[in-house]
Amino acid sequence: MKVTCPSCGLVGKVTFEHVYDASTKVVEIRNLTKTFGRFTAVEALNLTIFKGEIYGLLGPNGSGKSTIIKMLCGLLRPSKGSAEIFGQQLPCKPMMQKVGYMPQDTAIYLENTVHENLQFFGGVYGLPKDTLEKKEQEMLRFVNLQDWRDSLVSTLSGGMRHRLSLACALIHEPSLVFLDEPTVGVDPELRALFWGYFGSLAEKGVTVIITTHYMDEADHCSRVGLLRKGRLIAEGRPTDLKEQTQTQSLEQAFLSLTRGNET
Amino acid sequence: MILIFGYTFGGDVQGIALEMVNEDTGIPQGSLPQLPDGLFLANDITENLNEEILSIHINSDSADARQCVHDGKAWVAIVYPENFTQNFLTAVLQPGTIPQPTIELYLDGTNPTIVAAVLKEITGAIQNTLSELSATLNITETSMPITVEQVYVYGGGETRFIDYFAPGVVSFAIMMVTTMITIILFVNERRNGTLQRLLVTPASEAEIVVGYALAFAVIGIIQSIVVLLAAIVLFDIAIVGNILLALLVILLLAFGHQGLGILLSAGAKNELQAIQFIPLILFPSILLAGLFWPIESIPSYLQPLSYIIPLRYGIDAERAIMLRGWGFGEIWIDLLALVLFAVLTLSASVLLLKRKI
Repeated sequence: MKVTCPSCGLVGKVTFEHVYDASTKVVEIRNLTKTFGRFTAVEALNLTIFKGEIYGLLGPNGSGKSTIIKMLCGLLRPSKGSAEIFGQQLPCKPMMQKVGYMPQDTAIYLENTVHENLQFFGGVYGLPKDTLEKKEQEMLRFVNLQDWRDSLVSTLSGGMRHRLSLACALIHEPSLVFLDEPTVGVDPELRALFWGYFGSLAEKGVTVIITTHYMDEADHCSRVGLLRKGRLIAEGRPTDLKEQTQTQSLEQAFLSLTRGNET
Repeated sequence: MILIFGYTFGGDVQGIALEMVNEDTGIPQGSLPQLPDGLFLANDITENLNEEILSIHINSDSADARQCVHDGKAWVAIVYPENFTQNFLTAVLQPGTIPQPTIELYLDGTNPTIVAAVLKEITGAIQNTLSELSATLNITETSMPITVEQVYVYGGGETRFIDYFAPGVVSFAIMMVTTMITIILFVNERRNGTLQRLLVTPASEAEIVVGYALAFAVIGIIQSIVVLLAAIVLFDIAIVGNILLALLVILLLAFGHQGLGILLSAGAKNELQAIQFIPLILFPSILLAGLFWPIESIPSYLQPLSYIIPLRYGIDAERAIMLRGWGFGEIWIDLLALVLFAVLTLSASVLLLKRKI
């Protein structure tokens, strides 16, 4: 089944296959704008993201990816426009129960053990004790840290810390996960592992929104939005974007689209 | 800062509140050939008191004057009895017939610096007065035919500096530890991103602040129990008042300074910058809150500054509880100030966390 992209309009006749549940809107952004003084970080952004998607916000540094994520998480207040999550206007604290957030920094407690970190973040989401116990085991298996349960985070390698950070963002079974540059400074092997995790989340119906400036890995996304200077310049399935611009990679597609946009 | 240092360090004690009851009737003009102008010995002694050091309030009721010392409104009450001058003259002119005349002092003995200053000033004034009279009455000033009877309302006259210092140190330690740990922890939370992560959870900003407060309550109580135990065991300090009330004051101090720490942490990007806040909190507290020397020894134009330093109220309350054995009814103003400080800084820090750019 082929449907026309309902949220983009910029790329024109891009179509995409129904690999996710396009009937359930999870995130809806309308005319979202963020300015810092005279600098416009995000300009009049419109986006709709559906259930079970891995949506990649793609763009070079300073294109406004993190700003968008932070507005959706309620860490920044939009200057203009609105954002909805699960049909709820933001900011909405109770809705955060369904949201998982993995910040750009590793954002875990270095002086505590893996176990304590997972217990703490699980506890903050109010998981009952037995559920928390079960989820902790599940998460340790998921990110392959079973043998490190009682190690101090400060003794772990960077890759392990990243995995723990992801586990902390997922322990409360969120249905929407924001991952802000989860693969920066991560070796290729772990990156492949991470994309495996994201894929298995999407299969379970979890919506994953990811920012990255690695164009090659964005091929794993079900849809990507290409950002440049705070504006969405193109949106669609990676294959469609490549087809449309007649390029071999998303990187070339991005360059071709920016050129097209400037003329 | 250097100015405050210079002016507060080593300053003489000034403006010690004193209640004076003068019941002395004196002797009228012409009643004694040696003293044609009559004599009001109490007045003469009073004139020799330095009014910069002692802030004298005249009281007609000796019971009320004593009550003032009891309530902490004055450090000392001085009572000249009715026949003070007559008794003095009788004792001098016909030695051995009656006991020496007595000046009664009611002292709040909880502050050894102030007690020493008061006694020095009063004995000095008596000696000066006697030396003025020595020529006319043919007495030697060293014999000093006046007894100064000291009655200690609090402290029993044996309060050592360490007794006075301990309640202050307990409060000061809590203040420093709480403020510094909060600043450093919050700077870390911000820098690590764990604070952002917490803010994206359903937990509200108030819950985060209260959670921190509860943790500090535990740390604060354990720390003050250790300090107090050390004070009692090592320095043999007697705690007169209710220890639970003392702990309550500690808690309020801890809460307020935790809020202050969160607020200050917003101004620091890393631990190094956070450390720069130490002198900002440390020095005013050491210098102006009455930790080492009484607030009365700060120059009078700097004394009002001490009212805006929360530690002052903590130290004040702790001393009142531990040395005077005061209860809730007497220290409620200190408690109120501490509660206000805590409410103010904690709610401001909730607002700070809620603030979104």
